[in-house]
Amino acid sequence: MADSAAAPPKPSSSVKLVLLGEAAVGKSSLVLRFVNNDFQENKEPTIGAAFLTQKSHLPHRTIKFEIWDTAGQERFASLAPMYYRNAQSALVVYDLTKPTSLVKAKHWVAELQRQANPGIVIALVGNKLDLTDENAAASGGASTSEGSDAEGAETPETSGDARKISTKEGRAYAEEEGLLFFETSAKTGVNVQEVFTAIANAIPETQMKGAKGPGAAGAGAGQTALGSERVNLNQRAEGAKEGCAC
Amino acid sequence: MFTFNSLVQKAHSLIDASTIPSSRNPDGSPSKAALFRLQFRLPDSQTPQHEITAELSLSVPHSSRASAQGPRENQRPQERGITYVGKLHLSENFLCFSTQPTSFLHSASTQASSAFTGQTQGAGPAGNGFTLALCAIRRVERLQTPNSLFALAITTWNGFTALSGKQGNSSDAQRFTLQLAGSRQSSERFCDGLKKGLRDGVKEVENLKAVISECYSEYLLSGNNKAERESAMLVNGVNQPPDAGLGMVFRYPGDARKLREQSKMRLWREYLRDNGRNATLIRQPTFHKLIRVGLPNRLRGEIWELTSGSLYIRLQKPRLFTDTLSKFTGRESLAIDEIEKDLNRSLPEYPGFQSEAGIGRLRRVLTAYSWINEEVGYCQAMNIVVAALLIYMSESQAFFLLSVLCDRLLPGYYSTTMYGTLLDQRVFESLVEKTMPILWEHLVKSDVQLSVVSLPWFLSLYINSMPLIFAFRVLDVFFLEGPKVLFQVGLAILRINGEDLLDITDDGSFISILKTYFSRLEESAHPKSKNEKLRAVTKFQELMVVAFKEFAGITQSTISEQRVKHKDAVLDNIENFAKRTSIRNLGPESKRLSIDDLGFLYDRFYGILYEREQRMQVMREDIDRRAKASNDKATELVTGIPGNSSIEIGRVGLGPSPTLMNYDGFREFLAGITRWAITDAPTSHQDPMPSRASSVYSGHSGRERSSSLSPWGAGNSEPADHDFMQRLYGKWNKDDNDGLSLQDVATGLAHVKGTTDIMTSISYFFNLYDDDHDGKVDREGILRISEALLFLTRRGLGGSPAPSSISMASTLDEGMDPKGSSADERFLSSVSAFIRRCFEYADPDHPQNQNDNTSLPDTDLNTSMDNFTVGDSDSEEDLLDLGPKPTSFQQASPSNPPPATLPRRTSSLSHTQSKFISKRSANVALDPSNPLHITLPTFRMVILADDLLQQFFESAFPASFHLSDHPAHSPLQTPLTTFSSPTPALPAAPRGGIVPPAKGLRGVLDNIVSDGMRVAGEVRKRVDEAQREIEKSALQRSETDLDDEEEKAAYGGEADRKSVREGDRELLEGEEAIVGVGRGGSLQVEEDLLGGIDAEAGSEEKGRIEFER
Repeated sequence: MADSAAAPPKPSSSVKLVLLGEAAVGKSSLVLRFVNNDFQENKEPTIGAAFLTQKSHLPHRTIKFEIWDTAGQERFASLAPMYYRNAQSALVVYDLTKPTSLVKAKHWVAELQRQANPGIVIALVGNKLDLTDENAAASGGASTSEGSDAEGAETPETSGDARKISTKEGRAYAEEEGLLFFETSAKTGVNVQEVFTAIANAIPETQMKGAKGPGAAGAGAGQTALGSERVNLNQRAEGAKEGCAC
Repeated sequence: MFTFNSLVQKAHSLIDASTIPSSRNPDGSPSKAALFRLQFRLPDSQTPQHEITAELSLSVPHSSRASAQGPRENQRPQERGITYVGKLHLSENFLCFSTQPTSFLHSASTQASSAFTGQTQGAGPAGNGFTLALCAIRRVERLQTPNSLFALAITTWNGFTALSGKQGNSSDAQRFTLQLAGSRQSSERFCDGLKKGLRDGVKEVENLKAVISECYSEYLLSGNNKAERESAMLVNGVNQPPDAGLGMVFRYPGDARKLREQSKMRLWREYLRDNGRNATLIRQPTFHKLIRVGLPNRLRGEIWELTSGSLYIRLQKPRLFTDTLSKFTGRESLAIDEIEKDLNRSLPEYPGFQSEAGIGRLRRVLTAYSWINEEVGYCQAMNIVVAALLIYMSESQAFFLLSVLCDRLLPGYYSTTMYGTLLDQRVFESLVEKTMPILWEHLVKSDVQLSVVSLPWFLSLYINSMPLIFAFRVLDVFFLEGPKVLFQVGLAILRINGEDLLDITDDGSFISILKTYFSRLEESAHPKSKNEKLRAVTKFQELMVVAFKEFAGITQSTISEQRVKHKDAVLDNIENFAKRTSIRNLGPESKRLSIDDLGFLYDRFYGILYEREQRMQVMREDIDRRAKASNDKATELVTGIPGNSSIEIGRVGLGPSPTLMNYDGFREFLAGITRWAITDAPTSHQDPMPSRASSVYSGHSGRERSSSLSPWGAGNSEPADHDFMQRLYGKWNKDDNDGLSLQDVATGLAHVKGTTDIMTSISYFFNLYDDDHDGKVDREGILRISEALLFLTRRGLGGSPAPSSISMASTLDEGMDPKGSSADERFLSSVSAFIRRCFEYADPDHPQNQNDNTSLPDTDLNTSMDNFTVGDSDSEEDLLDLGPKPTSFQQASPSNPPPATLPRRTSSLSHTQSKFISKRSANVALDPSNPLHITLPTFRMVILADDLLQQFFESAFPASFHLSDHPAHSPLQTPLTTFSSPTPALPAAPRGGIVPPAKGLRGVLDNIVSDGMRVAGEVRKRVDEAQREIEKSALQRSETDLDDEEEKAAYGGEADRKSVREGDRELLEGEEAIVGVGRGGSLQVEEDLLGGIDAEAGSEEKGRIEFER
């Protein structure tokens, strides 16, 4: 049941993904890069939430991401439950150059783990890699937490760049919580596609809402690609109901 | 579980005050003043003072006269002009007239004041009339009338203060007459009031000049009267035109020709010339029509300012904007950081905001507002709204308009919890459910959440949903008619797209349908129609018609009613979220407590803060009432919440939604979770507080108050005040703030309660008394510790002494009389032994003291017990003698007078203590001349040497803090006995009498809620009644209220027909008629599909269309 290898014939399923994170860390820009392969220097702040879709083609299947891009300002936080309701995956974004944004990201992870769908696949994303020195070599530097065997080859933290949060710190936290981990740049496009692909891969087949229906999510037990402790125990997402602020 | 913090109260009052009459009015009646202010869009300082029925006569419009006519035009027969009958109101600074027959005086019936009618249902200027600043009146003459009625001719400053400086061009003068229809007496009273107001108004004439110099209308009208082409005038204008927004420099959005700017400008120029401008404008039906067709760019800002009422606030404080900016120059705040983040991303596609000029304006307006309303500070979406405003108005105009938006039009939208936004989303959903049940059902079935699309509509006023030019058209009406416009437009959007929306299956398709719709608003609504005129109707025009015709039934009172209905659920949701987040973020230390405990702690903490806030407010209100007149002005802020400035008071000092607990609050908090923190002397016939001058803890400020007014809620146990509590407070207050945060309390409790390790517990206690953190506690400290031990256990060990403790203790108490041996007594003897041992094992600060140390023989212990039991009988006597010097005191220490260092306590507890200690004073160790101290290891050893003390630190002390696990704590008797009289007569177990505070609080809150509901229900009933009455009277009095009638009067009149050029009339009417036809057609289609509307509605629309807009 938890085995996703039993691939259906020609599956094209949709996945609800929500972006969370402090204001101005680049959530909307990541989405814009992913959806339109574009970047805008001055992107209007998201009011409430924006909705976009994009298909991601995997070897065995096609996944249509329904992306909910939320507002980052603190006071919008109480609206968030409305958006992460029934989400199968989440991108929690922080700004590599801003330590407070990682704190906020941790809060979001905790909120999701407690209130969102059980088995939600969470990716922790440190954005604005372009502002750091290693942005050229970055694609190698960032990887999923699975690939932590690359730890030894860690890019040394060089001084003189705007980076305030080391790759190590982000990854350590991601591993501890069983999250996917990436460092990206929405501006240059580094690793953006990879984040979404990794999420698509991490979502077990049983989690897909193939056709449509509120109960589709959380139906089966499955393992994330991490093989971590995040096992869906098929329990009711109590938070989904209560968390809906309206 | 109740979770109330001050937010709830604030929310309640905001919602109530701005929509339904506030239930907080002292005499219980709805606040008429608030209704009055809303109706005429007046600042919060205004109250209705006089009112009288009157007839307003306007002279024949200029445009229809030969301009050569003299100034005596008012002498013309009245039938040549226009008359309106209505109510004339007088407030401190304003004279208001409306054809809406409402009454706001205190003497008036509730019915009359809560009758919301007309387009705005009391939420804005309705009907025909004016809101005239008294300072704008130049002269009032009493006219001779044949029937000795009061008739006043009012001349305004228009034409005299004009920027051109063309003094006294009398044909420009605005003059109209008011005929008072009351009794002679009431008319005279009104005139007296007016006279007084006019005298006061003189002072404000300078303000007025300053304010209107920013109004474009002054410039517009200062040009050559005879110039037919305003464009020519604009080019030749002698004066610099006032700032009409960034649009003057960076162009206004939209195609001026397509928007028919010139015609609109010409119409407005004529309207303003005939009916006064800015502070003196008279509303006639044309005014509403002109707004519905869209305002011309250059006047847009000014009319927004006028219809929203922000002009009047600006008039009162013309310099508030610049003063605020200069006052806070260089200061930093969280809001400013947030603002800076968004400056570059506010309407970035508009050229003005790609330049430093535009961004600078945006920065200044948002920053200034964040300072005058720190509670709101800055919320994303405000940047977009303000950016939009700045295209059409100056910085200071936008500043005041923003404050009206936040306080009145969009209450709670931008607050830190955004409860207003969430509430209105809920209201919107319920309206959709009611008006479009089929669509609603489909959305529910498809699991599509409506608010994910509609929330941005409301939060940013459609500005980033629709193309700008259309969003501004919505705003034009919104500022005039109030918040219901947002709902009407939203419903219309769904209705028009209803057919397509029934096909959607998920959020994605829902959103994309609406996105497409918004992007095509400019296109024809009926592209395939054979009728050319019908083809010319745009989707936007169709939207407006549907919004205001089909959803005309959505009124301000509908919305108020719905808000009341959903308020509690929405607030509960927010609070649950806040609580969850807050608890999660308490830090790693808090994890030692269970989630339930933390939840309990959260409720308890904010419960107390909220309750204290409320009590403070009641006290303050009391004081306010006494010094009302002077206070009214002081508390009135430009941001004040309508109808209730008292809400403001608690906030100004404590900042947004208090999160810190001062020492008094802490005492109350402890009293709620422990038994020992409840005072022994609740009636405070003696001061339980030691006047310790050396006290270093903050939070004492409230103390003086407590002596005169009771700061503890009725029914709550009054907390004790003990040195130990002060120390605990000081210890928990890590950052030396003005109070404890929830995190401080959670961390503090986690240390005390979250540990089961006796060693940790002992050293925690020790550190509490190690004032200078040198690892030593001196004699004074030892005594204080023993005092604290007695204090903490004076109601027994922990909640319920474990049986084991008794058996354990019994071995120790061999020598004691079994009858008199209660747990308390045994503990007292333990403490006495503790003191003795402490002094015995204490390290001397000077070596010579070592000689005084003796070993610890068992006999000595017994002696001390004997001493004690002897003293025990004494203490019963002492209890009667409250004097500071009991006889036994002196007897016991004949040789050594009590050391001066001993604390002098007047409470019976410490009295016994000192007596008890004094008996030991024979011990050389107590000699004050021999300083000594104990260290932590010594302290630990001494504690562990005594089973009872060990038990205290191991379990009883941590267990004395009851969190979620606690049973309702044992009620206590009043007056409470103290430990000093442990007679057998006093049971150690439950002592009844005090209501658990939690229950009292919950009761109060329940009452508030149910009261609110009841008032709301009552008001609604009355509104309905009044509505019926008005409908009845309207039938009889044709000139009063029916829009159609009014419009006939205006449009049917010969004079007026002439005033509106043929082509212009087409602009006003033609468009509408066509739209109406178009709508009629589309209705037919819809009828088949949705079965929603009957054909009659469609045809009726066609018939009436000519007069509506």
